[in-house]
Amino acid sequence: MTPPPADDRRLVPAFLATTGRARPSRNTLDRLTVLHGATDPATVTGLRPEETRLLELLRGGALSLAEAAAHLRLPVSVVKVLVADLVDGGRLMARAPIPDAELPERQILEKVLNGLRTLKSF
Amino acid sequence: MTEIPVALTVTLSVGTAAAVALALLLARSMREARRLRQRSATAEKELQDALRHQAALSARTQAVEAEVRHLAANRVPDLAASLAHPHVPVRGLLDPGFRGTELDRSLTAVMDQVVDAVTKERLRMDSAAQSAMRGSTTTIQALLYQLQSKLQAMQERYDDPFVAEDLLTADFLNEQALRRIQATAIVCGAWPGLTRQDSHLGDMVLGAMSRLVGYERVQVTNQLRDPLGVVARAVEPVVVALAELIANALHYSHPELPVAVTIQQGNRGASIIVDDAGVGMHAEEMERAQRLMSGQDPMLLTELGDPPRTGFASVGQLVRQYGFAASVEASPYGGVRAIVHIPGEPLLTLMDVEKQPMSPMTPPPRGSSSGAPPIPPALPGDTTSQRPPRQPEPAPAHGETVQLGTVPERPAADTTATTGTAPSPDRVPAPDGDLPRRRRRRAVPEAALDQPFGGAAEAPPQPRTQPAAPSAPPAQSSPEESAERWAAFQRGTASGRAAADEGADDWPHPSQGRHAAPPHAADPHADPRSAEGNPQE
Repeated sequence: MTPPPADDRRLVPAFLATTGRARPSRNTLDRLTVLHGATDPATVTGLRPEETRLLELLRGGALSLAEAAAHLRLPVSVVKVLVADLVDGGRLMARAPIPDAELPERQILEKVLNGLRTLKSF
Repeated sequence: MTEIPVALTVTLSVGTAAAVALALLLARSMREARRLRQRSATAEKELQDALRHQAALSARTQAVEAEVRHLAANRVPDLAASLAHPHVPVRGLLDPGFRGTELDRSLTAVMDQVVDAVTKERLRMDSAAQSAMRGSTTTIQALLYQLQSKLQAMQERYDDPFVAEDLLTADFLNEQALRRIQATAIVCGAWPGLTRQDSHLGDMVLGAMSRLVGYERVQVTNQLRDPLGVVARAVEPVVVALAELIANALHYSHPELPVAVTIQQGNRGASIIVDDAGVGMHAEEMERAQRLMSGQDPMLLTELGDPPRTGFASVGQLVRQYGFAASVEASPYGGVRAIVHIPGEPLLTLMDVEKQPMSPMTPPPRGSSSGAPPIPPALPGDTTSQRPPRQPEPAPAHGETVQLGTVPERPAADTTATTGTAPSPDRVPAPDGDLPRRRRRRAVPEAALDQPFGGAAEAPPQPRTQPAAPSAPPAQSSPEESAERWAAFQRGTASGRAAADEGADDWPHPSQGRHAAPPHAADPHADPRSAEGNPQE
């Protein structure tokens, strides 16, 4: 009996990171929330391994939540819970992403365009 | 005168002759009579003997009949029962006088025939049942794996917290179902159904506990010196065995007691020790578990109870097929200690943490640099004083028993925090007959002050002061690069905002944001998606 070729099926499922929770304690987080570490993970005890890893990732600067999730190889929804817990504990700072500038409304643009055309026609 | 004597003489002689003849006759008849008397006496005796013999014979016939009836009515049913339940005694001969006779031998032959027939039939039935189970479990298992992939993809895709939480719950339920079906399949002689890649031991322990209700109670301590992994073919079997042993520990201990799992590295292999402080097993159960887990005896489904208790039996099957070892004994914590020993020679391998990092949930090995790199120089004199408290050897001190029940924090966290910095030279064991050792990178502690990521990070650790090290063409952005980019971006945004505030005019603010944001902001959130292959929205 020859076993089939190995596949890279995950061994450790994501729900272990948060014991099954995916509802963060704050709903202000999204994929582009920017995270900075507020504490050095080496100085804190009692962190779970995944929290330590997240803080280590952020030691060099800031990362977006989506990037942190990709580096941890965890779903974004789970990382949100981790982040929310760490923010609650004061070990992490999360900042809303810079919003896209509001685009002017289409009607205004059309009016301006019309105005320019009328200018040009003079 | 002469006449008379002659006559007398004649007469006398005749009389004498007659007397002699008579005497002879008499003697003869007396002898005859004696002989007849003797003969009649012997005849009578023979008759008596014959009668006695006949009585004995008929008694014996009755006894034989009774013996045969006893065989049919009692001994064969006893035997049949004892084949199913070994503690049922089988009755012997009714009349001990038959012991050793031809009859005894014949009856024993009958019994042997019965045993033979029943055993054969039972094996046939059992293997039929096993193959039927195997057929259905294989299909179900394949379906559950598909479901697992689907659920995993959905977890990546859906951000909504409620949906995500339901997906995690579904994933967990699926893991439990998989574990059950897999154990049943293995007991029925199937292979574990999955070949994985070489995997870290720590990841395997976490994978095992993730299949169990109550996994929150499992406290994993990683005492490995090297990043040890198990070779691909044995990964899933070991995980299944661990899952069954941890499940046993969880099931037989109070729902608030922790279950301590310790991963240890020995000279000739690695051991995973599962301790619970639960109700324990009495000697008979322990003996049964040992027998099942030794994998020596052929195992029958019908012997596993109803519903079949597949745990130890599946461990036994895997032990036999894949060459690791499992045993149970009384735990110093009061419950049961189960030990899985994985021999180094055929089954262990050293993992490349950069190519295949551990799962973030796995406590890093105490030798790894990912624990606490930034403070190495402070400790060399200090290590001896630090060693004793974190040395849960197989025979723990009394204080640890208390700790098992009461301390809520995970021992793994502080273990890594203190042990990562221990200098390596003092713990390099004699290399002869040892596991292959990976040379530790000595550069890490020196560079660690500005090295933000441990050895477990994906990026090869290089001094950051050298821009674009020649050896490493970054195929994908490492976390530190992205982090740096974001930091620069934020600095830029901050200074831009400051400039805008100086301008006392609110209008430039959003427009500046618009100019500043796209080139940077587009980058990071495109990055993980492309890396994960995850088309969101």
